[in-house]
Order: sequence, then structure tokens, then C-alpha cells
Amino acid sequence: MFIRTDDKITTTQTSIFITDSVLGAGILTLPRSVIEAAQTPDVWLSVIVGGFIVILVALVMVKLSQQFPNHTVYQYAKRIVGTVPGGMLSVCLIIYFIVIAGFEVRVFAEVTMYYLLEGTPIWAIVIPFIWVGAYISSGGINSIARVFQIIFPISIFILVLSYFLSIRIFEIDNLRPVLSEGLVPVFKGLKSTVLIFTGFEVIMNLVAHMQHPEKAVKATFTGIGIPFVLYLMTVIVVIGGMSVDSVLNSTWPTIDLLRSFEITGLIFERFEFPFLVIWMMQLFCNFTSFYFNASLGISQVFGFKIQTVIFGLIPAIFITTLLPERINEVFKLGDSIGKMGIALFFLVPVLLSFIFIFRKKVLKQNV
Amino acid sequence: MITLWAAILSKLPDWKMFTQAFLSMFIAIGIYYVNKFLRSLVINKGTPAQRENDGKQQADHSNLTVDYEDNLNAIKQVIGSNSDVHFREFEATKLRARAVLIFIDGLQNGEQINGCMMRILMSDTGANLTDISPLGLSTYLLDKVLPVCEAYEAKELHDLNQSILMGCTALLIEGMPSALLIHSSSMKNREINEPSSEALLRGPRIGFTEVLSENTSMLRRQGCNESLEINSYEVGARIKRKLVIAYIKDIVNPDLLQEVRDRIETIHMDFIAESGYIEQLIEDDYLSPFQQAHNTERPDRVISGLLEGRIAILLDGTPFALIVPVTFSMLLQSPEDYYDRWLPGTFLRLLRFFAAFLALMAPALYISFISFHPGLIPTELAVTIIETRQGVPFPSLIEVLILEISIEILREAGIRLPKPIGPAMGIVGGLIIGEAAVQAGIVSPFLVIVVAVTAISSFSIPVYSAGITLRILRFGGMLCASVLGMFGTILFFLILCGHLSKLKSFGVPYVTPISPFRFSDWKDLFIRAPLPLMKKRPKMMKTQDKKRMS
Repeated sequence: MFIRTDDKITTTQTSIFITDSVLGAGILTLPRSVIEAAQTPDVWLSVIVGGFIVILVALVMVKLSQQFPNHTVYQYAKRIVGTVPGGMLSVCLIIYFIVIAGFEVRVFAEVTMYYLLEGTPIWAIVIPFIWVGAYISSGGINSIARVFQIIFPISIFILVLSYFLSIRIFEIDNLRPVLSEGLVPVFKGLKSTVLIFTGFEVIMNLVAHMQHPEKAVKATFTGIGIPFVLYLMTVIVVIGGMSVDSVLNSTWPTIDLLRSFEITGLIFERFEFPFLVIWMMQLFCNFTSFYFNASLGISQVFGFKIQTVIFGLIPAIFITTLLPERINEVFKLGDSIGKMGIALFFLVPVLLSFIFIFRKKVLKQNV
Repeated sequence: MITLWAAILSKLPDWKMFTQAFLSMFIAIGIYYVNKFLRSLVINKGTPAQRENDGKQQADHSNLTVDYEDNLNAIKQVIGSNSDVHFREFEATKLRARAVLIFIDGLQNGEQINGCMMRILMSDTGANLTDISPLGLSTYLLDKVLPVCEAYEAKELHDLNQSILMGCTALLIEGMPSALLIHSSSMKNREINEPSSEALLRGPRIGFTEVLSENTSMLRRQGCNESLEINSYEVGARIKRKLVIAYIKDIVNPDLLQEVRDRIETIHMDFIAESGYIEQLIEDDYLSPFQQAHNTERPDRVISGLLEGRIAILLDGTPFALIVPVTFSMLLQSPEDYYDRWLPGTFLRLLRFFAAFLALMAPALYISFISFHPGLIPTELAVTIIETRQGVPFPSLIEVLILEISIEILREAGIRLPKPIGPAMGIVGGLIIGEAAVQAGIVSPFLVIVVAVTAISSFSIPVYSAGITLRILRFGGMLCASVLGMFGTILFFLILCGHLSKLKSFGVPYVTPISPFRFSDWKDLFIRAPLPLMKKRPKMMKTQDKKRMS
């Protein structure tokens, strides 16, 4: 077929979609939040353990979604538990996505106002951002995935390059001693490292849009593997470069790390500027992903046209964004998003899988 | 969940926030409907024109009769009032019948008419031809008498008139119910020159001309190939013109071919003046700043496009051929990339990508750095720039606009100027005005560098119309940057990415192979891989024959 009429995405696009949904505000906030919880430099172990937990969770979601080809979670939830309970589960998921979207925009606005546009009113930053997100979302999943594909290589390149350059202030002693206080802090840190991967829930919708849904497991592995590696690098590089104490005292430790060294001879002496640029684009992808998934959910649960929903969500996201008044509340909101994520994990994929298996194996029903 | 609800309930947003929220929604909806309305303006226009056109064509279809006088009068009635239509009546001696040659002044080859037609028909050979029936006469003349290779019979009056006007010589003989059309046109046309819009250092110096048959023959002459197919169409309702589509039969994707044919058949316009008309009438998205058909004057470029599985559209009367579908990467490629060795080819191509980036973004970056984030550039540089800008009375947007617009005017003027004055004006405009503007304190010297680099960069783009696209978009980038600084520039880039990823040219995504990602096509994107590595045709065209080399 030369002219494609189906709105499907390839396996690579799925991986990038997942990566872009996971890799967002966490790059800036992860080092501090995880050290606040654990208080030791061993937090990189927490990231590793957290990553594995998340991959297992994602596998459950993929396996469940693969049982219902061409159905998103909003559609198969209804088939498993009935229209009304399924719809309620979907509404929880939609609210979750809207809140994350609002959170991402807020973090974006905070960073922009702090580093780039001091004194600019917050609505002037938030509204154009949401508009561009709406423009891209209205193109359907295929054009969203394509935009991600254009931005992805640029951002990964700059990200890795800035980390690589910060090796000059890296001191291995900042990461030592390993496991001086035993494994307890590692598990304490786990709480915030699992939260950092929030967003991979979109996989439950993506499987339905894949050209080859049978490759969803592979796509998920790559899609979570890339942010996993990048988060691990972030934590190691930031702690190695700044030490635990200074990370605790900084609002955006990753940017502070990049501000703390200069490379003479390059056009940009400090790498914080290109880093901020790609981080903004990355956060935009992150936001668009949640925006689209929330709109898709509303349109599938309530039967609206997706274009109408995209417009309707503009004020909803705008208000969510401006709800927290101070930056501490923003971070608190981030924590509650993580908790919501865990609750939703038990509510949606686990509960649904149990009921699905129960109905299929025990009651021998054809779901 | 509970903490979240508590947080929400304790701080219900005030009315100001609600106003902003809903205002933002309504503005977005407004933009959406304006866009939809603009698109609907174009789509609904195809059908009525077509119907009207069909009705007109059926009106005057009548055949020639046996009666010579009637035929002649009928022709004279339609085209006889033109002063350049000549009727040369004579007696065809050996047929013992009256005959007339009808031709247009300046379109026919006089020697051929004199030498072949008149001499043979008027000379008395003595042979008795009167026993040939009038119906068989035309066949007899074509088969035995006339030594002309392009001659055929016309029975229908309307067609006959058209052919005469197109440059054929018509021969009407008493008693013959049809006319003979002798193709003796010798229209004067210019010589084959090197294409001025796409000059190359290395590569063939041949360019298309205004004559379609010459252009198609140039394609044929690229090399012997029996699967190169050239199909002819007629476009234009009032003034008809020939249009051909060329493709390689066993490479092109049949669905694409059908799509191109369908779109060409929807063209309903009274006159197609240039291939630019075709481009605009068959493109996918008329609101896009990007071109969706590639225009070129170079036969080598067309033929390599055909070998990639693309389709060429050539129109009579213009040296510009169209290649469809077009992808973004094509706009920054030059045939020279392939003629040189791969290392220089790659270098030049990377340079062009960089130049395109500069041409698009440099002024926007200047504005956002100077007006919004001087802290982000190295301190010494920032201090230097700000020192030189101290006397400038305008904000950086106005400063940039002054210089950018004058450069654009200068460029536009440079095209119109006679050749001997052109370079001189360039020097006067570029150097003197720039220097004087700095001296006068209207702009800063650093900006002159930025604008000059931008202008030079946009010249390095090998496709002229793509250069214009970037020049237009540059102003959009500047406006975004002047409102929101770096953030605005990023938003501009994101909108551009969003638009490009939605845009398709004949069903092919515009930014493939970057996205949808096709790694094997990257060999011919930013780099130009060594030829032995490029064994396969681009995947994006979904060709029938995948291999270039065995």
C-alpha cells in the first residue's frame, strides 16, 4: 500500500514514544528527590532496582494489552469488567494523565521562568506551550510519533554529550562508600525512583496502535531501557560531580551541575544552554504524549470527537498547571502523582488481569 | 488521591485564571476554524468547472464532407478571419482537382511545402489517377505520393482547425472527405543552454528548453532504456497544452502512478502557463510554506529521480520539469553530490544542512540571545556585543528587521537588474549600506555579520524555491523569538516539526527517512555514502524493483 490510511506506528516509533513519555521532568528532579529519600550516595542502586521493577510492571501491561488486539485500555477495560466499572477505571487513568500533563507544563514553566524568562507571567509561557501541544496532538498518533522521532536523536545526543563533558568534575569519591549503611536506604530511595518512570502507562494504549503488536515486548524493553540508562547516568554524573550535600541544597541539581564547569574554546562555555533547549523539547514531547492519551481516553470513553476533546482539555490542563501555588507544592504534586501511579497500577493492569484470567480460566467465558 | 483532592479543594482557582483558561481555548478553536475555512475554500471548486467544460466540448463536433467548397468555407468561417492563416489554393494537376494548403505564418517549414507538396501535386506526371475513388485518395497520397514522415489524416473539423493552429499544414483536395495534416512545423526555439537556476561545476551542462518534444528527447538521450515510459495528456480548457508524465515502468510504484494520473486529470483551468500552475493545482496542502513538487531544469536530475521511483511531469512551453513526490532531503541535495567523490559530496551536503539551519534560525537566535538571554553566551562575547549595540536606538527585533528587509529588497532588485550592473549593485547594497548603517548607529556591526551570514547561507541552498521557503519562515522565527526569546524559538521549531511531520507529498511523508525512520535511506541523507554501498533504491518510494546494483 503506497498511501497509508491506517493510523498505526512502527515498532521503533513505539519505543521512542515510550521513551519520550517517561523521560521528562525527572532528569532535573530525580537526583534531589531520590537523595532526599535515601540520604546516601547509593541511590544509583535504587535506580537500577526501580528500573527492573518498572520493566516487570510494564510487561504485565503489555501482556494484558496483547490479549485485545486493536483495543486500547479504555476499550478493553469495559470488556473485562463491564461498561460502568471499566469506564470508571478509564476516568481514573484519564485524570492521572491530565494531572501529569499539567505537572510537566508546570515544571517546564518554573524552569523557564527561573533560567530563561524572568518576570514573564506564567500564562504567557503555559498557553503557547499547550497550543503547540494541541496542534501536534490533533494530527493523530502517527504525526505525534513522527515529531518524537525528529526530536529524539537530537535530545539524546546533547544529553549524553553534556553528561560526557561533565566528567571533568566527576569525582568517584562522591559515590563512595558503597552500601555503607546497608540496603535500607536503597529501598527507601526506591519509592522515588519508581515514580520517576511514571508515564510508561501509555504502553496500554500504544499496543493497540502498533503495526506489529506482537513486537510490543521488545518495544517496551527498548522504550524503558533508554530512559533507564539515561536516568542512571543522570544520578551517577550528578552525584559524582556535586556530592550528596550540594545536591540536597539545589532545586534543579542537573542544571546546577552543568553550570558549575566551563569549557573554554567552544561557542558555549557552559553546557546548560543546549541542555535546557533539548530538555524543553523533551518535556514538550512528554507533555504531548499525556495530552494525546488523555484526549484519546475521553473520546473513547464518552464518545466525543477527538478534536473536540483536544480543545476541551486546553482549559483543564491550564487550570491543573496553575493549581499549585509555590514550587514546593509542585514537587508535592509530583510525589502524589507517583502515588497515584502505584495505585493505578494495582487498579488497572493487575486488577484487570486477575479478572480477565479468572473469567477466562475459571468461568470459561469468552471475553 | 486524598491529598490531591484536598489540595484541589483548598485552592479553587479564581475567576482570572478561568478567564485565561477559556480564552486560550476559544482562541485555539478560532485558529482551528480559520484554518478549516481556508482549506474548504480550495476543495469545493473542482466539480462545477468540470461539468461546464464537458458541455462546451461537445458543441462543435462535425465531420468534413465530400464537398470541397463546403469544407473550405467551414474552415474559413472558424479560423479564416485570422490574418496569419494562409490559404494557398492551386490545381493539383495530376488529380485534375482543386486543392488548398492551409497553414499558419511562421509555424511551417516553407521549403518542405514548396519542395514536396507543391511540386509533386502540381507537376504533371502524366499518370492517370482519376480512376482512384475519392475515398481511397487520402490513403493513396499518404502511401505513395507524399514523401513526408509525419503526415496523417483528419476527418473531424474541430480537430483539423486545432491542428492547423498548432502548426500543421493541412491539405484539402476536391472530392476527398478528409484532410491531410502534414507536420512541418519549424518553430524557432532557443538553443540548449546551461540551466541558469541550477548551475554546476561538474556534471552535464544541458538544460531543458521550452519545447516539450526536445525535453522528452533529452530524457531519452540520457541512455537507452525501453522501460522509460512517457505518457501524454492535454491540459487547459481554453488554450490546450501538452503535458507528459515520465516514469520507469518497472520501478515506479503503480499506486503512486495512479495517484499522479488522477490528480492531473482533475486539473481544470483555461490555461496552464507554466509548470508552477501544475504544481499548485495538484499539491497536497496549499497552506504549507514547503513545496510539494520539485522543479528542475536538469535532465540528469529528472532521470535520477525517475530511477529512484519518482515521477516527472513535463509541460510544453517551460523548461521547468516537476518531480513528484518530493521529500525534505531532496531540497538540500544537488546532483553534484553524486558526481564528486563521496567525501566531498558528504562534506558539501553537511555544509548545506548547516547553512539551511543558519538561514532559518540565525536572526531568531540573535534576537533571543541579545534581548532575552545575554547571560547564556560567553561573557566576553556578550560584553563586546552589548558595547557595540549601545548606540542603537531600536529593540533588537526592529534592528534585525531593518537589515533583513533591506537585504531581501536588494536580492529582489538584483534579479531585475541588467547583468552588467548586478554585481556592482550587490557591492553598493551589501557593503556600503551595511557599513553606513553601522556608522549611522542604526544597527550594530555584529548584526551585519549575522545578516550577511544568513543571506549567504540561504544562497547555498541548491533549490531556489526551497531557499524562498526558508527566507519566509525566517521572519516567523524572528517574530517568535522577539516575543518569547529562546522559548519562542523552540516553540517555532516544534511547530515546524509538527507541520513537517503532518505534511505529505503524494502520500510520502515529507521528512522521511528521518521519520518514519528508515535507516537504510540515511545513506543518502546527511551523508552521501560511497556508491558501492548504495545498492538499493530508497525504501520510501516503495519501488517495484528494489535493487540498483546486483
